[in-house]
Amino acid sequence: MTSTESVVSRYESLNRSIPRIDSEDKVRGTLLYVTDIRLENALYAFTFRSKVAHGKINRIETEDAEKVNGVKAVLTYKDIPSLNGYGAIVPEIPVLAYDKVRYYGEPIALVAAESVEAGLEALSRIKVDITPLPVIRSIEEALDDNAPKIHEKGNIARHTIVKKGNVDKARASAYVVLERTYETPMQKHMYLEPEGGVAYIDENGTLNVIAGGQTPYRDKLQIARVLGISPDKIRVKNSPTGGAFGGKDDVTVQIHLALLAYKTKRPVRLTWSREESGIAGFHRTSSKIKLRTAAAKDGTLLSNEAAIYLDSGAYQSFGPTILDVSIETINGPYRVPNYYIDAYLVYTNNGLASAFRGFGAPESNFAIESMMNELADELKMDPIDLRLKNILRTGETGPFNNIIRHSEGLEEALKRAKEVFYRPDPSTPFARTGVGVAVAIKGVGFGTLPDFPTAAIEVVPEGKVRIMFSNVDYGQGINTGNAQLVAEKLQIPVSQIEVYHSDTKYSPDTGGSSASRSTFNAGNALLAACEKALSELRLEAASYFMTSSSSVTYRGGNFYYKDRSINIYELAKRLRSRGKSTFFEATYEVPRYPEPVEGTLEVPHMVYMYGVMVSKVEIDEMLGKIRPLEVDFIADIGNVINPAIAAGQIEGGVIQGLGYSLTEYYSYDKDGRPLNINYTTYIVPTAKDSPMINVEFVRTYEELGPFGAKGVGEIGIIPVGASISDAVADAIGKRPYRLPILPWDFI
Amino acid sequence: MEITVSFFLNGKRVTVTAPPAKSLLRVLREDLGVTSVKPGCEAGECGACTVLLDGQAVTSCLIMISQVEGKQITTAEGLERNGALDPIQEAFIEEGALQCGYCTPGFIMAAKGLLNENPNPTDEEILEGISGNICRCGAYPRIVSAIKKVVKKGVV
Repeated sequence: MTSTESVVSRYESLNRSIPRIDSEDKVRGTLLYVTDIRLENALYAFTFRSKVAHGKINRIETEDAEKVNGVKAVLTYKDIPSLNGYGAIVPEIPVLAYDKVRYYGEPIALVAAESVEAGLEALSRIKVDITPLPVIRSIEEALDDNAPKIHEKGNIARHTIVKKGNVDKARASAYVVLERTYETPMQKHMYLEPEGGVAYIDENGTLNVIAGGQTPYRDKLQIARVLGISPDKIRVKNSPTGGAFGGKDDVTVQIHLALLAYKTKRPVRLTWSREESGIAGFHRTSSKIKLRTAAAKDGTLLSNEAAIYLDSGAYQSFGPTILDVSIETINGPYRVPNYYIDAYLVYTNNGLASAFRGFGAPESNFAIESMMNELADELKMDPIDLRLKNILRTGETGPFNNIIRHSEGLEEALKRAKEVFYRPDPSTPFARTGVGVAVAIKGVGFGTLPDFPTAAIEVVPEGKVRIMFSNVDYGQGINTGNAQLVAEKLQIPVSQIEVYHSDTKYSPDTGGSSASRSTFNAGNALLAACEKALSELRLEAASYFMTSSSSVTYRGGNFYYKDRSINIYELAKRLRSRGKSTFFEATYEVPRYPEPVEGTLEVPHMVYMYGVMVSKVEIDEMLGKIRPLEVDFIADIGNVINPAIAAGQIEGGVIQGLGYSLTEYYSYDKDGRPLNINYTTYIVPTAKDSPMINVEFVRTYEELGPFGAKGVGEIGIIPVGASISDAVADAIGKRPYRLPILPWDFI
Repeated sequence: MEITVSFFLNGKRVTVTAPPAKSLLRVLREDLGVTSVKPGCEAGECGACTVLLDGQAVTSCLIMISQVEGKQITTAEGLERNGALDPIQEAFIEEGALQCGYCTPGFIMAAKGLLNENPNPTDEEILEGISGNICRCGAYPRIVSAIKKVVKKGVV
């Protein structure tokens, strides 16, 4: 639906760029981030890590370390009370290594000490004896028949085939068939606040873990499994966190902190240094994708064959579901009647790969969108016309048997992109300009995986409405966006809303911040809680007016009957005076298809975001430098709750994508040691590297979303690689097939 | 070995005893409880710990405490005047020039330092002035707008 009336806020809370509700604390510097917290009597914690990327552990000696004055604990795998494993999908990552080490930096022991000096001294006295094994550094090496096995089951973590129709027949009838291989790098999150936090046992015996994270209830469960205690004895709080982008979605320091506090009965503080974050933190899966795509002379796509390989590193964290998203997005938003997708998640000794904004979509997008641009060249078609010809329209059945709910927004975005897709100025010698385009699609939420977010609101007689959800605001602005949604629903000013988020102590389980789900899922659960509240308050109002509830009307925070009125806060006071609760909790069932497509875990999604990115670059052939000049990003994210925050999400995603496309590649040496572990050697964009970015939103309304909203967090980064590559190809007549695009690839 | 150093933190004299090579960043955070000054790399690469040293923006992780005797150190906590935010702080809020906010105090101090030296910077000079600071959330376009807004208003 693209009507304009439906997107206008009735109560002035929506479609408004109010500043983030935590802006003042942030500019004052008074917001205490998880690594700013100082607890009295706290121990300093350190991690002893493997200096061997792949090897068999023969012996771990900690006696000398334990003797250091001031050392309160030296823990190894032997000290783990219950399961020695964690991992968002499969708990196969050792909390502390025991039989083998599988990546450089893998934790082997933990130290807690009264001082930094004592802790470091103890670290230096831990001795390990490891027999090195051959290091597997790439997908190719891992899949070699003679490769050593990283895990007993081999080097393939997951393999699946998803198919439809008859690709051989379709290809045989094609006018053009292109076969290309695309590669994308490992990308580090490089959030400004490294992984860290504190843990302590409070007076009630509850183990509190306050650490950077994205999904507090899953952290809590993962901690409980390792300690062998009830999750009820654990509280996890994941904010304020200085950036996450997926890299804090699985556990980083949480279990180590919990283990140390549990064992020492003392408060513990553990923060990774920048370099430690560089070595031991998560990164994006690298990818190698072989595509063979066939089209008719008029541009109609006939078939798409894909072999997808993702490097999961030493263990699988989110790897299996990242593979699913790469499968789902390899056909783009297009009508692909025949496809054959052969997808592999591969183990290597390259650290730990996990979630990173886009979650498999930027990887696949680079392949399919580069392919679309090259097909347009081959067919001598306008690249946007080629897409307009092939995008699935509303009501059509998609490649994964999903019914397309809405694609008018994408169509409109493409048409708008045509207006800004201008041919660049004539190139001058040594400075060539080019323009490129790519389209992005990404599902909101977890697809066919069960997702039942619970959220709550509490009407406080003192004139506040507290809203509670467990998703973490690490910069996306979901606290503000969700406050706006509730304000709209209750018809009250945003200033009356207080947000309690990311904390299992205050909030029911709404799930975490991932998959661009926090507006859609938490928003819908909050609106359901508001419904409950309004229904209960209406009864109380009816009782106050001594009339029937159907005679009572509600407007702007007040219930009315004839010439009388009472506001929600007075009603809350009346309810409380009789011992009744003014806390209202609701669970929302996220709409989904009943079962995944065969061969997948979560494909397809029901609701998709779309984006079209047009980019203009200048290439200095003398310096070998690609300079992005201008980006136009037209997005369909549903109704836009807060345009400035939403645009900021897209700008930030684009800038991270520019890094991914031009300068960022995390890499390992021949012994499996990471090479670029800090800002000196891993180059992220600065203000000088950021082009002018024009973000536009097409006006759409997703009926399933809270007030028509979908999601926004991930869409910005997804099309950047293909769009920039296309602009480079336009400038120099040579197509990049690998990210980042490095000078020696085009000069 | 430890030395005793006196300097002015946001206008107030403070005295600390610390090893001479201890970074100003660590002294501010660990000894003086100043939390706006963030460690992001402790190598002068990210700018999250930027403070003003006698009005000039510096990364406090690269300044040794022995270098600040008698100096004026200003952090984000020292920008408010009579409870009112500094115009640059206001502009960051209005322009939505922050996301996670971890780098924000450092950017604000870098902007202050820039405007102290050059109250009327060109666009290029603004970019240069904040090029030592990293915002991984990518709020750069809005940070630049916020600085321009203050320049335009001439309220530095």
